[in-house]
Amino acid sequence: MDSQFQIEVESLAAALDQLDYFGVLKIPQTATPPEIKAAYYRESRAYHPDRFAAYPDEAFRELVGRIYRRVNEAYTVLRDDKKRAKYVQDVTGPERAQKLRFTEAGEAQVKEEQKRKLEEQLGMTPNGRKFYAAALIELEAERWEGAQRALKSALMYEPSNGRFKEALAQVEKELEKNRNKGDQFRIK
Amino acid sequence: MSDDIAVGIDLGTSYSAVAAVAEAGGSPQVLPNEWGERTHASCVSFLDDGSVLVGNNAKKNIITNAENTIYSAKRLIGRFYFSDEVKKAQAVMPYRIVEGPNNSVRLQVKEKVLAVPEVSALVLKEMKAIAETALGREVRKAVVTCPAYFNDNQRQATKDAGRIAGLDVLRIINEPTAAALAYGFGKDISQKICVYDLGGGTFDVSILEIGKDVFEVLSTAGDTYLGGDDFDDRIMTWLADDFLAKYGLDLRQNKFCLQMLKEAGERAKIEVGRDGVAEILVPGICQSPEGEVIDLRQKLVQDQFNRMVMDLVQRTFKVCDEALQSARLTAGDVDAVILVGGPTRLPIVRNSVRHYFQREPMTGIDPDEVVSLGAAIQAHALLNTQAAEYGQASYLLDVTPLSLRVGTVGGFTEKIIDKNTPIPIEKSKTFTTSRDGQDRVKIRVYQGESNRADACELLGEFEFTGFRIGYRGEVQIQVTFEIDSNGIVNVSATDVETGQKTSTTINLSSGLSEDDIQTAMIHNADIELARGGRAA
Repeated sequence: MDSQFQIEVESLAAALDQLDYFGVLKIPQTATPPEIKAAYYRESRAYHPDRFAAYPDEAFRELVGRIYRRVNEAYTVLRDDKKRAKYVQDVTGPERAQKLRFTEAGEAQVKEEQKRKLEEQLGMTPNGRKFYAAALIELEAERWEGAQRALKSALMYEPSNGRFKEALAQVEKELEKNRNKGDQFRIK
Repeated sequence: MSDDIAVGIDLGTSYSAVAAVAEAGGSPQVLPNEWGERTHASCVSFLDDGSVLVGNNAKKNIITNAENTIYSAKRLIGRFYFSDEVKKAQAVMPYRIVEGPNNSVRLQVKEKVLAVPEVSALVLKEMKAIAETALGREVRKAVVTCPAYFNDNQRQATKDAGRIAGLDVLRIINEPTAAALAYGFGKDISQKICVYDLGGGTFDVSILEIGKDVFEVLSTAGDTYLGGDDFDDRIMTWLADDFLAKYGLDLRQNKFCLQMLKEAGERAKIEVGRDGVAEILVPGICQSPEGEVIDLRQKLVQDQFNRMVMDLVQRTFKVCDEALQSARLTAGDVDAVILVGGPTRLPIVRNSVRHYFQREPMTGIDPDEVVSLGAAIQAHALLNTQAAEYGQASYLLDVTPLSLRVGTVGGFTEKIIDKNTPIPIEKSKTFTTSRDGQDRVKIRVYQGESNRADACELLGEFEFTGFRIGYRGEVQIQVTFEIDSNGIVNVSATDVETGQKTSTTINLSSGLSEDDIQTAMIHNADIELARGGRAA
């Protein structure tokens, strides 16, 4: 064990909480998945705790352990495309300092985001979804009254669903247009 | 440092083996016992003189000294008394399985009550003795293997067993990972490999990527309720049903007959795998009510055997599917398939594996010895600080097989660490108090893939005290969950505001306390290992 490596470990362990995951793996933010894996292997060769298992200095082993746990954490997040995207957003944003570690909140947010997207598309209650699906069929066939009825029913179950409201507004616009046309026809 | 030695021990459900790297830079060797046997039945027989017989000799006593002979203890290690596996064992095992504190499992032999790790410790003690005789020196350090799919309770219990046997357990490593290490060590290859490990009582699959000296486990999956014993069971059931139809006697009613039946089943399985046909003959297996002695006579052919066990073999491929999916690979991406465990010698298993992967499994690897060889390599590496310098380094990047969860309200759980996450790893979660003046926070930690607590394995209840007391929601406690290189979970907590570490106590754990282990160690050291004659 040379003393230079010891100094390296000590300074890296001390700086760990100021580094983002790209810094931990010593790669640029643009790294490709194979580069991430190569970096992970490189850091594993350097800081794998097994290398130092027989090293008598326990405090030093603990430092290596801390670094290596963070290496694993970094790899776990960066190898996952969804988590990586969220993480990059976090560390390039204004709250960078608080978000250097991918937290449970971040994870929940990724999940929440996916769930919300799905729900927005389809509705949050079984009945809401049912009526919204019916409305889409009516819309497809350009039966505006039917679509309006279905959307109003869907909104009874989910009064605050933005997508439903948007769709209803559009349908009502169409209806308005048609009514105007109709009126004009009658006047003529 | 260099005068120290550490051995690798494959602690199997049915058979165990011990190996070592005897000199720096040398290759690992399986250490035989004084009769040249290289694998040893994981069987412990308590003799009348107070000594204990372990290994292939003890196996004979399953029939002659059934109540005092314990085998397949690994099936029970780290389990709760109420688990299905324990209930099943109670029905078929001739020895007595009783309930201990905190729903733990105890084994009763004569008037002695032993915890399962104490029995495994006796197997380890025998392995240690074999190694010491073979190497001609004292052995105090070891790497012990366990199935990749073992949970924290089972790993902890395995580690405890090592300590009780007087061994310093340097590491618990996964059996498939050890096999991969033995396969790829020093070969300078870059491959994706699959380890198909069908043991006596467990089945594991691991997918690894080997990049020269780095062994990265991409995913692992398994079934801790599936193994060669289940193949034996099928033959037993067939024999017993047939006997019942012929003579109107149910051999399963008598534990003595059941053991003979089991032995016949195991032998038939091995013969049918080797020769394609098995002649089964157990003379005088039982007596009719009229006092007539009846022999058990049957003939088992390959096709018939294959039909009996086909569904078991199919189950292993469901597990393979799962592992490949987690690794985001298909069967075609795998460069090599390594077979581990005795049952993989069966033609039906080999052929099915070949068919599934569209590739010939690796030959030239002894499925009974490869795990202990890998463990020996790892043991040697952990003792050596300079391994990296002379090109002997290998880095095992293993994963946790199960998701780590905490219990929430209403019997649900929330995931903290995903399965197949590289270890060692740590993750923190902040908890707040829910009552004014609350002075303790309890959290229950689980492992499993269900969000329902009752479908997961409880690891224990952690109670934190000694933090600041305040109004509800005001005190925040940061709980850190760490999974170490052994796959064992550690939980600690700090008060977020003061940074003060809180004290932790563990309740509801089925494991042994420090006191229990100390007592067991003394106990274990007192027990003498009997040296019987050579097994027939």
